[in-house]
Amino acid sequence: MIRILTLAWLVWLEMIRRKDIYVLLILLAAFLVTLMALNLFGLGQAVSYLKEIGLLLAWVCSWILAVSVSARQLPQEERQGTIFPLLAKPVSRAEVLLGKWLGAWVVTGAATLVFYVLLALMVALRGGGFGGVVLAQAWLLHLGLLAIITALGIAFSTRLHADAASALTYVVTLAAWLVMPRVPDLVLTARGVVQTGLMVIYYALPHLELFDLRRRLVYGWSPAPGAAVLLTLVYGLLMTAVFLTLGWLAYRNKRFTRGAML
Amino acid sequence: MAETINHLPSSMSNAINIQDLVVEFPGAHGGAVRALQGLSLSVAQGQVYGFLGPNGAGKTTTMHVLLGFIEATAGAARLFDEDVRQTIARRRIGYLPEHPDTYRFLTGRELLLMAGRLFGLSRTALNARTTELLALVGLETAADRRLATYSRGMLQRIGLAQALVNDPDLVILDEPASGFDPLGRIRIREIIVALRERGKTVFFSSHELSEVERVCDRVGILAAGRLVAEGRMAELVKAGESLEQYFIRVVS
Repeated sequence: MIRILTLAWLVWLEMIRRKDIYVLLILLAAFLVTLMALNLFGLGQAVSYLKEIGLLLAWVCSWILAVSVSARQLPQEERQGTIFPLLAKPVSRAEVLLGKWLGAWVVTGAATLVFYVLLALMVALRGGGFGGVVLAQAWLLHLGLLAIITALGIAFSTRLHADAASALTYVVTLAAWLVMPRVPDLVLTARGVVQTGLMVIYYALPHLELFDLRRRLVYGWSPAPGAAVLLTLVYGLLMTAVFLTLGWLAYRNKRFTRGAML
Repeated sequence: MAETINHLPSSMSNAINIQDLVVEFPGAHGGAVRALQGLSLSVAQGQVYGFLGPNGAGKTTTMHVLLGFIEATAGAARLFDEDVRQTIARRRIGYLPEHPDTYRFLTGRELLLMAGRLFGLSRTALNARTTELLALVGLETAADRRLATYSRGMLQRIGLAQALVNDPDLVILDEPASGFDPLGRIRIREIIVALRERGKTVFFSSHELSEVERVCDRVGILAAGRLVAEGRMAELVKAGESLEQYFIRVVS
């Protein structure tokens, strides 16, 4: 466990010392301040408008961060050559994968918390507010979502370059986000192989829409049932485990050959 | 067939045991390129072993198999009687790669702390060890500077320090003298000699044959993936001949 935590600490330290998070945070703050200053369509005074756009921005920022951080971890180790002294230590490849995933997940989870706090402050400045319990539930479920996205990014990056892994993670998560809720309707109208294919996609891709509590936050609805939140988190952990296992299968026998005769 | 001179030690006392190692890489048009062609080699504990050969001979490939970076196509390799494919085989070793690549956002001290934690060293032991190693490689004053600000020679020195953080019984060095100025090379030589005096095994590749001549107990010469000469330095190199002359004669 100490080795996994050490590798996660390494990811954390790198992110703190790089500027990615700060750039996203400043961008988000700038967007929110602009939103508060402008009075588009006469909606400038409506707090729900600020909440809705602000939450969308926070989601997009944390999505970009989760994909970019997770998908570059392993390729970066190879490109920089740091994978060699790392694997020369008694660290298994499963530990490398888990440490990198944990680091990416914790970094993006912490950044998302900062995004939420920033948004809550802006909303409070407008005289509005979020329900405390719903906000906590939303962040918890967001963590579950980020666990899946970072696991996907890590899994793809075991065999792809950072850019390719990022692009693929963006495509898959976007497809899962936009298409999955519509698949049941499509299944009803499709026939034969197409119907089977749709069913396979429905069960193979993660259901990211389950982790979305934004409407409860925007419209001030009551908290989601605790059991539903718990089940969704368990589902998130299972999907994360599946993607990390697939990543490990691809990574465990990978050859690292820089400097070796080819 | 390798020109083997002198007693090969028994496997029980060996730090490294390689048997009939074959490594193939995918080549053009679906074929395969053989980097190692049935390499067999043993290194006894407490020896300084020079692993020589021209570029592309298979030295780095051999080291990469020993360190678990690549799996051999055929044959077996063991470190202290542990299969190199097992993580446990790397508990007693230290490794310095040819290129001093490292995490440039860390400081020198943080790198050593990180390396020590990966070996499971306790905080107290690690703090003492870090101070000791920074002094050994002469980087006490630069310990808290980011590695991004280090020169190539300094990176090589901190790389050597991280290779020694677990007080390894076997140290594998890939071209350790590259990147060092003459004073740095002398320091490296002193460190290798000091390791031998403490009963440690050092396995290193180098193109600096004069360095090899000074510190090695045995040498193995690799050419085209085969061991072409192996033995004690004094017995391989004839009187009046330098290692460089012998190397050229054997390899060509």
